Amino acid sequence: MSNVTPLTSQAQHSALPPTTHDEFARQEFVRSYKQYLVKNVHGTNHLAYEQRVKPKIEREKKRPPKDRFEVRDAMVQDPHYQMFSALLRTSQEMMWSACQIPVQRELETLNKKINKKRAKPHGSLRLNPTLEIPRYHTSVDIHCQPGGYHSEFDVNDASAGMVYDRAVHIYAMGQMGPYNNDIGASIALWVKENYPAFKPLRILDLGCSVGHSTVPYVDAFPKAEIHAVDVAAPMLRYAHARAEELGKKIHFSQQNAEAMDFEDESFDLIVSHILLHETSDKAIRNIIKECNRLLKKGGLMVHAETPQYKGMDPFDAFMLDWDTRNNNEPFWARSHEIDLKKLSKQAGFSPAKHIETLIPSAFQIAEAKRSLTFQGGDFGGGGFWFIYGSEK
Amino acid sequence: MAKLQRKAKGERPTFFQDPNVDKVIAMVMGLAGEVAVMHDRLDTLERLVEKSAGIKRGDIEKYRPSAKVSAERAAWREQFLSEVLRIVEIEQEALASGDTQDYAQAVALVETKG
Repeated sequence: MSNVTPLTSQAQHSALPPTTHDEFARQEFVRSYKQYLVKNVHGTNHLAYEQRVKPKIEREKKRPPKDRFEVRDAMVQDPHYQMFSALLRTSQEMMWSACQIPVQRELETLNKKINKKRAKPHGSLRLNPTLEIPRYHTSVDIHCQPGGYHSEFDVNDASAGMVYDRAVHIYAMGQMGPYNNDIGASIALWVKENYPAFKPLRILDLGCSVGHSTVPYVDAFPKAEIHAVDVAAPMLRYAHARAEELGKKIHFSQQNAEAMDFEDESFDLIVSHILLHETSDKAIRNIIKECNRLLKKGGLMVHAETPQYKGMDPFDAFMLDWDTRNNNEPFWARSHEIDLKKLSKQAGFSPAKHIETLIPSAFQIAEAKRSLTFQGGDFGGGGFWFIYGSEK
Repeated sequence: MAKLQRKAKGERPTFFQDPNVDKVIAMVMGLAGEVAVMHDRLDTLERLVEKSAGIKRGDIEKYRPSAKVSAERAAWREQFLSEVLRIVEIEQEALASGDTQDYAQAVALVETKG
């Protein structure tokens, strides 16, 4: 029996690159393939662990495995885990390839369409060609997208954004909704429910990529002025076009969230959506300090991630850690082990105002139908998001 | 025409003792994907033929599945993947049902000495 929600189709908004019949079918296959792995292959790792891997560790060490490293050393030798990993890695590569094909086919035409001058734009786009792309984005291509967020292959290239918008839908298997906006929508809903008197007038989204998580704040807080930053120009070109096509007013600028040009205490609400794990120890400290500098008194900082490993069973932590080594997410492991309260305190936030909690997914009302686990290759599948942040 | 980068920068992990096994898995799944693409094309063709005989190639390109057709195709892909990856499901079924006894034990059970 299926324990995964039915496939949700992506909204065919006009910024999304068009596909031929077979290109679309190829992308649909990858989505089904990923869903099949979640439903029928992933769970067998736990059976293999309980029945043959854990007993082997216990025989050798005369005690249960003490951490995810001991689990890893043993699991990498298990034939099912090897097969699962080879299949999952392959699904990720096929996803990017299937999303690249239609973009490559019409690259120049698509880029012209994305970059066209708009007579009366709702929002704005400010690029900075001199911005240095941080090394944590250039050392490997994050989550295996060829060229990462930042690489450009054509004049005023937006290909990375075009590829990414489609890939996010396939990666999440539709579980982030027709507009991939679930993380932003979930935070917006949580803020409104938990801070009913809070009326943010200036909102900032950090590491916005294609702005899919930024858009829901426009709807949730129609009176607010909304800004979004990212280091990658190809993402921002696409994000701007996408927001304009959807009729949403957002001001995008190419900036590193570690050091931005906004004035002190100029925002009420600062958010990010699965950004922090794609930075570094040094960068994450800089980013939280920047949040403290930019927030007004009474403001709120909220970052969405997957849950910290602390308190997690070693096997579950090992499985959630799959992406660190196998999906080009080098900071994933470390970012899940940082003492977040201490991080905020060092940045100037009061420990009494610390926030760390799980919030329900806004999109998935039928939570019971979901796979309800955080796992490699299905991080949107939990039915809830982990948020970390602080009031100021 | 400008060319997109096709390989993600970073060392590709391998999971089997022989890294060529990793590559064969990728080939099998790549092939499975292309079969699924052909299936959808045939499915489109059949659905169009049902409606009118004089269909053009462009009609296939313009065809977009309705929610109902999408659901039917998703169900087909799930069944198809289940057939291609049957060998992986067998592992799950063996572990879940406790069918993990050494074959030698079955032989020992039926071979009585004397």
